[in-house]
Amino acid sequence: MKGKIKINATKIRGMILPIILIIIWQVFSSVGIFEKHLLPGPIVVMGALIELLKTGELITHVLATTYRVLSGFLIGASIAIIFGTLTGYYTKAFELCDPLIQALRTIPSLAWVPLFILWLGIGESSKLSLIAVGVFFPVYLNWVMGIRGVDPKYIEVGAMYHFTPMETIRKILIPATLPFLFTGLRTGLGLGWMFVVAAELMGASSGLGYLMVLGQNSSAPELILGSIIMFAVLGNITDTVLIYIEGKVLHWKESFKGGENNVSH
Amino acid sequence: MKTRKIITVGLIIGTLAIGILSGCGKKEAGGATISTGTTVAKETKVPKEIKLDYATYNIESLVLKEKGWVEEEFSKDGTKVTFVQSQGSNKSLEFLKSSSVDFGSTAGGAALIAKAKGAPIEGIYIYSKPEWAALVTTKDSPIQSVVDLKGKKVAATIGTDPYIFLLRALDEVGLSKDDIEFIPLQHSDGANALITNQVDAWAGLDPHIARVEVENGARLFYRNVDFNTYGFLNVRSDFAKEYPETVERVIKVYEKAKQWIAENPDEVVTLLEKEAALKKEVAQKQLERTDFTESIPGDNQKAALIKAAEILKKEELIPKETDIEKIVNELVNGSYASKAISK
Repeated sequence: MKGKIKINATKIRGMILPIILIIIWQVFSSVGIFEKHLLPGPIVVMGALIELLKTGELITHVLATTYRVLSGFLIGASIAIIFGTLTGYYTKAFELCDPLIQALRTIPSLAWVPLFILWLGIGESSKLSLIAVGVFFPVYLNWVMGIRGVDPKYIEVGAMYHFTPMETIRKILIPATLPFLFTGLRTGLGLGWMFVVAAELMGASSGLGYLMVLGQNSSAPELILGSIIMFAVLGNITDTVLIYIEGKVLHWKESFKGGENNVSH
Repeated sequence: MKTRKIITVGLIIGTLAIGILSGCGKKEAGGATISTGTTVAKETKVPKEIKLDYATYNIESLVLKEKGWVEEEFSKDGTKVTFVQSQGSNKSLEFLKSSSVDFGSTAGGAALIAKAKGAPIEGIYIYSKPEWAALVTTKDSPIQSVVDLKGKKVAATIGTDPYIFLLRALDEVGLSKDDIEFIPLQHSDGANALITNQVDAWAGLDPHIARVEVENGARLFYRNVDFNTYGFLNVRSDFAKEYPETVERVIKVYEKAKQWIAENPDEVVTLLEKEAALKKEVAQKQLERTDFTESIPGDNQKAALIKAAEILKKEELIPKETDIEKIVNELVNGSYASKAISK
């Protein structure tokens, strides 16, 4: 009983600030402190979203953007894992490739856009490549850290039991590095959502980023805000799915679960 | 007790943050309400700074920027003059709405969309009656007329005259935006996309159209002078209310530039070559398609806008409930220009 009450209190506590801010937002908008052509109130924004839902446009845009993110995510993460396995395992490869990758990592997403559009045009390939680039780096980074950080004692234990290389990989390396991988995947997914906005700002004819451009250029700030809200919602949903998968895969893992509640994340 | 403290703190921080942010915005818009200039009489307040935009589609603005006549006019008031480049009506409107410029140049139709959605602007001067929008395709394209656009990729900049032009052209032949694959790109990017064959057609704007015509043999497969909605110089309503004489003086300087253009056709071409980085033939083509006779916004402009409004409502660019006549009358304000030019 006590545990149940505690969880509900946490949830309610979390919702207080957002609800208060939304109320303040609506009040300021109705009163006119926020001018309606600059920052329309939440009711106007929700109205615009509902309109789009009714015409089916919202679903089209959501699907388009989600498809781009997930495809780019799969491509980027796969390449990162393959690359990361090579450089993680072979020190020579690491010394060769890692400095370059570290240098490229810090280039901001928007800087890649003009280049990719020049090379790949304004079609889907430039968008997916952009997202894949964004996803690649955090996944690669965490995966390599994971591999190189495996406690050698575990490997020794494997050697004592005469593990074959395949068994070492399957029973020691992979379970030891998976937690790092999931950290990387979650970060990568977040970046994927970020990069898709940049990708859709240039020459997209569908998607939430397109909706943003439409709102920006046709004096409809409620579309911009609505699109931002949808991004937040979708980002959260996909992240939650990833957390759930992580929980299932790493169910055996013991970790610090927090002082107050025994709810693992 | 702890929860109450958290709520109170949260409320205070939230309100403060929102208050500061909105207050900041207002302060920028107010301009100089403290100082009124050193030797100028109290009724004629002069702003501390005037921000204007300049663009390759507003030839007077390029003249003014090069000749420094605005700075000259306001030098005795000590007013700082800043020029910001705009890549299209959509950008100028963004600048106007965010008070990043006080004077912004747009197509009439674009300004109408913004005005219908609450933008606090007024169109106070006509800098040109251009035929600046047209539907363009590549030399070898099979597209011959608007009906051929069905199912094709067409690029245009949302919220600008070429965009409205495209919608009207499609509507004329019974098509709509849903019948084409519409790709939103800023004017220069649209031109590039056309000549790299990434799109099949482009609703373009001069001088970019002239450029691809001259340099790549692109052809205009649909022209319609009446679909163009004039070059409007817009001012922020707050600015105009506070500094009406300044608005008149800016209009006077614009007229000076217009006069200069009429009297120095060759030098205009040279100026465009330099300021807009255009080849001579491109600049000449653009000038060919621009008419500078009208300056005072009036009934001609209102009629053109009312015609454009129909398609804007259809495409839901302006809300269905908009009272078109009212909005057009609020937008098209010839009072400042009439005063400035008759004097």
